[in-house]
Amino acid sequence: MALEAFATSDSLTLGVELELQLVSLSDFDLVDASPDMLELLGRRSFPGNVVPEITESMIEVSTGIHTRHSGLLAQLHEIRDALVSAGDMLNVGVCGGGTHPFQEWSQRKIFSKPRFKEVSALYGYLAKQFTIFGQHVHIGCRSGDEALFLLHSLNRYVPHFIALSASSPFVQRHDTLFNSARLNSVFAFPLSGRAPFTLRWTDFENDYFAQMERTGVVTSMKDFYWDIRPKPEFGTIELRVCDTPLTVDRAAALACYLQALCSYLLDKGEPPPAESDYLIYNYNRFQACRFGLDGTLVHPKTYEALPLREDILATLRRIEPHAEALGASPALNHVYQGAHSGSDASFLRRQFDESGSAEGIVDAAIRAFRSSRGHRRLPP
Amino acid sequence: VLTDSIPAAAVAAAAHLAWPLVVALAWIGGEIGRRWRVPRISVYALVGFACGATQLGLLPATGGGGSSVMLVNIAFGLILFEFGYRVNLRWFVTNPWLAATGLLEALLTFAAVYLIARWGGASTLSALLLASLAMPTSPASVMLVINEQRCSGQVTERIVHLAAMNCVLTVFAFNAIVGFWTFETSGRLGLAISSSAVVLVVSAGLGALFGLGVPALLRRLGHASHDSTVAFTIAIVLLVGIALALRYSPLLATLTFGIVARHRRITLNQAQRNFGALGDLLAVLLFTYVAATIEWPRVAAGLWLGLALIGARLAAKVLGVAALSRASGISWRKGALTGLGMMPISVFVILLLEHTRFLGIDLVDHLAPLAAATLLLEIAAPLATQLALRLAGETHEPRSS
Repeated sequence: MALEAFATSDSLTLGVELELQLVSLSDFDLVDASPDMLELLGRRSFPGNVVPEITESMIEVSTGIHTRHSGLLAQLHEIRDALVSAGDMLNVGVCGGGTHPFQEWSQRKIFSKPRFKEVSALYGYLAKQFTIFGQHVHIGCRSGDEALFLLHSLNRYVPHFIALSASSPFVQRHDTLFNSARLNSVFAFPLSGRAPFTLRWTDFENDYFAQMERTGVVTSMKDFYWDIRPKPEFGTIELRVCDTPLTVDRAAALACYLQALCSYLLDKGEPPPAESDYLIYNYNRFQACRFGLDGTLVHPKTYEALPLREDILATLRRIEPHAEALGASPALNHVYQGAHSGSDASFLRRQFDESGSAEGIVDAAIRAFRSSRGHRRLPP
Repeated sequence: VLTDSIPAAAVAAAAHLAWPLVVALAWIGGEIGRRWRVPRISVYALVGFACGATQLGLLPATGGGGSSVMLVNIAFGLILFEFGYRVNLRWFVTNPWLAATGLLEALLTFAAVYLIARWGGASTLSALLLASLAMPTSPASVMLVINEQRCSGQVTERIVHLAAMNCVLTVFAFNAIVGFWTFETSGRLGLAISSSAVVLVVSAGLGALFGLGVPALLRRLGHASHDSTVAFTIAIVLLVGIALALRYSPLLATLTFGIVARHRRITLNQAQRNFGALGDLLAVLLFTYVAATIEWPRVAAGLWLGLALIGARLAAKVLGVAALSRASGISWRKGALTGLGMMPISVFVILLLEHTRFLGIDLVDHLAPLAAATLLLEIAAPLATQLALRLAGETHEPRSS
């Protein structure tokens, strides 16, 4: 089956998908609650879309198509409220965070759906270890060529999104020292990493995808676990490196930071992307995963060493006019605050120090998700 | 009977051997039973009953005396602690329909069993006692089946929470009735009150004290983030010891301990669920011991009424939970399955009865139908729980192929 044609979207429209944790409010461990949650949510109309994920302790929600931060945020708030009230009925806590801090992967149950069962059969324990939670952001593109241009131009900004969203410092009850340990699990998959460097959609379609298909390894774009991948049926590119943040407010802010950044890149604000940019790609990505906002990047063109936090702040200044035009200034403001006050990962580490247990981390994550104004001040 | 013709030395040797042998037999039986997907505890109960004093007579009539009462209470205490640890009290507030379900289910069970008992010719008092003792779902049976099958989901969660609720309701109802009876028969109000209200308050208070004190101590010792299984086991042993020595209820104390500890967010990590190997070991002892205390003549005497009682109880639980299932956020089907899963009775009841012996009342004689119901449910009800959880799709597939 050949790759479908690239659908045309309005430029810079956006949509967000969040993979969320379903946690038992009794013992704060993950709970196989997605069938029950879906049954209950199905009783009335949901303010967005909700689907199962590969294991029964995950649920995925997505927004409609938006153009402005305010609309996106409003819908995310509605989605959150619907999830929280369903969870309350079922003793299920819903929360963000890229990993659950103490779940045991061997306890997970694959959701009963053919594709999930196939993936599980192919990847073995990797599939159950894939009980990790990410945010995906779609940005609409007018053509396949525009999609590929944006996809590759974003390469040097990928670490920004990793560091800003990082919320997975703990795995199996231990501090990994990473800010985003989640991406290490993604990297275990053979078709992960970055997309091949082509800037023309026809080349991508005929040379790369068609050949890969002939190898028998892939049948659709879904088989690629790339950091950014084109989604031809939506006419979007999809950024997939973010951990699910602890609040929907941060999720909306990250999405609109990306939107403003894409606007700036489409405006030819920078020299065009090149294959050689990817020399230091994995290194920069590692820096962001390991050290978060305190990491150090190497600029792909000048090879200059840049503290990640300062690079974000400089980028915010550069794209300010674009954000203003798109109504995304509140998002940039949120990112600015976040760059100073620290990521969700450092918030979770503080919770561990204060409560003395991994259960305390999950409890704080649940309360953060419920609260509307970020998680600086938790309700009692 | 058998022992009359055997020399004293051999009798002493046999006494030493009896329990180890029965426990070994029960364990082997349990592992064989697993192959046919029979819950281990059903087999333990079967072996324990078969070896009991009035059956094969392998076990002594007293059930082994003081130290085994202590051990059994510790075994039950460990399970109740873990059980309490899984209860989120706030759920009853955020979903009031769940609390209503628990109340409805318990009241229906009480009423149904009372009517059946009266119909069967029991006195008002016996019928009231029977009705109160038929209310609770055995936390031990439920926890062991859930842990054995690694269950997770709504039916699992609801069985645990509703069982906690009906156990607490039972303790109150039972003590109220016993208190009332003590007053009626002795005319001494002081004794009546001390036999009920004080026992409840002090037992729960002891548990709460441990629930606050032990986590605080562990944090002081810098233990909070490590494995605290040994610490909790020792605390439970101590708590059970204190409760038995002062003649309070070790059951209520350990249950409260678990609930309070949970709300203090103290860690009991997953590898140690069910207290690991120690919990498995004590479960063998607990279930064989309890079944061994049941005497066949009593079972035979109360068999038909016992069966009727089981039927009424099951119907009440299934109907009671299913009636409010939609309102409380699950499907009719899962509601009915939750009711089915709540079938186990027994350990709780037996120990409650044992406890009243301290008061100089032997209720067991009055309650022959309960002995029959208990025996049957000890063996059959874990199967019902397992079936309910499997039909709800909440058991863990043994191995995905």
